[in-house]
Amino acid sequence: MKSSYNSHVKRIILGLVIFAVVGFIGKEISSPKSFGVYGHYRADAIQEEADRDMRHKTNTPCLPCHTHEAGLHKNGLHKTISCEFCHGPMADHITSGIKTGELPVKKGEEIRVLCLRCHNRAIHARPGDVIKTVVMPDHLRDKKVKETHTCNQCHHVHAPYNYIDQAKQALSIKEAS
Amino acid sequence: MDREKPELNEERRTFIKKVLKGTIAGSLLLVIPLRADDLETSEQIPEHIPEQIPGIRGSEYDMSRHRFVFIVDITRCIGCGSCCVADKREYNVPDGNYRTWVERYIKDIDENIYVDCPNGGLDGYQKPREDIDRPVRDTFFVPKLCNMCEDPSCVQVCPVGATFRSPDGFVLIDSERCIGCAYCIQACPYSVRFLNPVTHTAEKCSWCYHRVRRGLLPVCVHVCPAKARKFGDLNDKESEVYKILSGPGVITVLKRDMGNSPSLYYKGARREVI
Amino acid sequence: MNAAHENAITILTNYVFPNDLHVHWSMMIALYPYITGIVAGAFIVSSLYHVFGVKSLKPISRFSLLFALAFLTCATLPLLFHLGRPERNFNIMLTPNPSSAMAGFGYIYMLYGVVLLLEVLFIYRPTLVYLRKKSQGLMEMIYRALTFDSTNLSPESLELDRKIISFLAAIGIPMACVLHGYVGFIFGGIKANPTWATPLMPVIFLLSACVSGVAGIILVYILIKTFTNKPADTDCVRTCTNYLAGFFILDFVFEMLEVLSHSYLRTAHYHAVDELLNGPLYNSFWIGQVGILSVIPLILLGWLCLTRVNDTLFKIGASLVSFMLLLQVVFMRWNVVIGGQLISKSARGFTVFHPEWFDKEGILTAIVLMCAPLVVLFVISRIFPFWMEEMDEG
Repeated sequence: MKSSYNSHVKRIILGLVIFAVVGFIGKEISSPKSFGVYGHYRADAIQEEADRDMRHKTNTPCLPCHTHEAGLHKNGLHKTISCEFCHGPMADHITSGIKTGELPVKKGEEIRVLCLRCHNRAIHARPGDVIKTVVMPDHLRDKKVKETHTCNQCHHVHAPYNYIDQAKQALSIKEAS
Repeated sequence: MDREKPELNEERRTFIKKVLKGTIAGSLLLVIPLRADDLETSEQIPEHIPEQIPGIRGSEYDMSRHRFVFIVDITRCIGCGSCCVADKREYNVPDGNYRTWVERYIKDIDENIYVDCPNGGLDGYQKPREDIDRPVRDTFFVPKLCNMCEDPSCVQVCPVGATFRSPDGFVLIDSERCIGCAYCIQACPYSVRFLNPVTHTAEKCSWCYHRVRRGLLPVCVHVCPAKARKFGDLNDKESEVYKILSGPGVITVLKRDMGNSPSLYYKGARREVI
Repeated sequence: MNAAHENAITILTNYVFPNDLHVHWSMMIALYPYITGIVAGAFIVSSLYHVFGVKSLKPISRFSLLFALAFLTCATLPLLFHLGRPERNFNIMLTPNPSSAMAGFGYIYMLYGVVLLLEVLFIYRPTLVYLRKKSQGLMEMIYRALTFDSTNLSPESLELDRKIISFLAAIGIPMACVLHGYVGFIFGGIKANPTWATPLMPVIFLLSACVSGVAGIILVYILIKTFTNKPADTDCVRTCTNYLAGFFILDFVFEMLEVLSHSYLRTAHYHAVDELLNGPLYNSFWIGQVGILSVIPLILLGWLCLTRVNDTLFKIGASLVSFMLLLQVVFMRWNVVIGGQLISKSARGFTVFHPEWFDKEGILTAIVLMCAPLVVLFVISRIFPFWMEEMDEG
């Protein structure tokens, strides 16, 4: 093939133009559709994030089935506590209205660890107007119970003063009569 | 003990009555199996869960009409770590990465500051720190989460537009576009970002955008037993956050000199908090 | 993960944000500016001949271009190893974010690659046409493609080539500077990191790029000549070493200026930077980068450039200095990229970095990736003859 003095340059330029055009078309085809509606991002990503499944579903859906706990919980001092914090997220328990798993119920030493996350006075920075705290095991000694006692042997976990108030009431009635 | 039972039963009866009267539709939703399409809507928009942020449900959600802020009240935080636990569960955050965490600050009488945050505060703070020789003057907890900056560094540096600030002010991540370069992690002055070891894309706190759009509080705010975390719409003059921010209290943001203008405010933060 | 986490906490004297324990930009990101730096530096050596007419560099003017090309082909590999989702790498070309310092990479890299490749092809065109006539089969096909099926070597055609070469070499210089200065800006633009956020960062990266490029060429040139039992051009090596000295003095001055300005300005983050350089980075910065690998080469360079050293000794000295300066730049990249990330954004503590041997971004990968450009260079040498004199013999 006979080549003129600039045929290689022409071919290079042609090649670069084809490369650029193909690249541009490829870019237009593969760019996501909703890109740039609000800004330099895919606008659909907002709705996708909004549609993410909720795993925690507040206390409301728990109460209709767990009526006994519900009764205690809503009248007790722990009424602001989330069921799901101690027991785990609703999504691990009920899916599409059907029970799919058991949520754990803390027992024994676990209860003590759980209660002291909030109520341990040894951790300073727990203001009295926010939370009532105790020092262990001094609290057990004060109340004249065994040091092996777990918290829930005196305090009902869902309504901490429930038994204590009842006991006090019973005692005062006795005293009066 | 004998006295407890009748009282309890009575309580139970009234409760059931209330439930039947008040939330009969809601409770039935949970008990009676539903058709698939009903289920979908009931899970997407949980109408049976009472609204926690007024003005979201009902009419069409208008992104330009809201200005959400988050306030952390350091004087109320007790360092229980409920927020961290709930957050980890809500998003199945892999171990060793934190969308939110709670730091413990200790100041001794010589004004030395000791900060720690074992396991991001997930296990709570069960014991006082034992490696401090001098008497402790002050202890406080500082919860950390995404600052939702008005001028976010992460959005500025993301090379592909995979992280962005939505019209309603949330800095979110498009995990479909993220290439996992970690530039945003370098750029975030608050270190709230991490590379998810499962998806290999960047991740961070979203102030539970999916809950907010359903009219519910972020999960950390919802579970906080001490009301140390507050969330709301500043455009709603009745909201608690509006009252706090327009009130006389001292409100600060973290690393103000960075110039990112966070929408996360701290109430009662000492000057040592970084 | 958890064990490492606990371990890091106990090692630290003070507090690191929980998400800062992991160093996200590891060896791959230290390697990437190293490789692009060599590309930019080698290109500038060839431009000294092609644009600025430094005649004594003629023997390596072609070699340095191919050297740059070989490293350029491997420059993206460390990035692909680093990315969490490497299969999405084209997103950076599809939707580049105009406000991101990193987003330009795809286009700058591509344009620079085109300019470099075209310059090589135009410079080599007479040679390639000649080789095409001599070869058969596959090699003939390759040469036919590389000459764009044009055998025209008329004076008119060569004059056109000469103009195009000058143009490409001229725009190549700013592009090489942009390619590497911009890599420095990727770090310099991170205000959250006090060791990175300095306008000196692009300057330091650019100058160290020139140092590593020139040093790489001197070393590989002398090594190839030694192993092929041919004399290296003394005049050329001496000129290169002079340029190396010039670039390195500037580079070192700016590196020290950065440390000096940190310690003199004493801004809010000074204590963190100070403790970093005198703590975790003491060995790799003060002893490695500054003491052994900067001060000693400076003395050696002074000896080589300012006194009369005989040719054999000069070549040994130049190789040694080049090797040390190549290492100096490795240390500098390490101290900037990985060292900078050791400071937690809490400004209260440092994390630790443990390189793994068999990690995706581990030591083994780094070694393989550093050898890859040399393998590519060997392959290129089968197609493009490095040296003019080989042509004359043919």
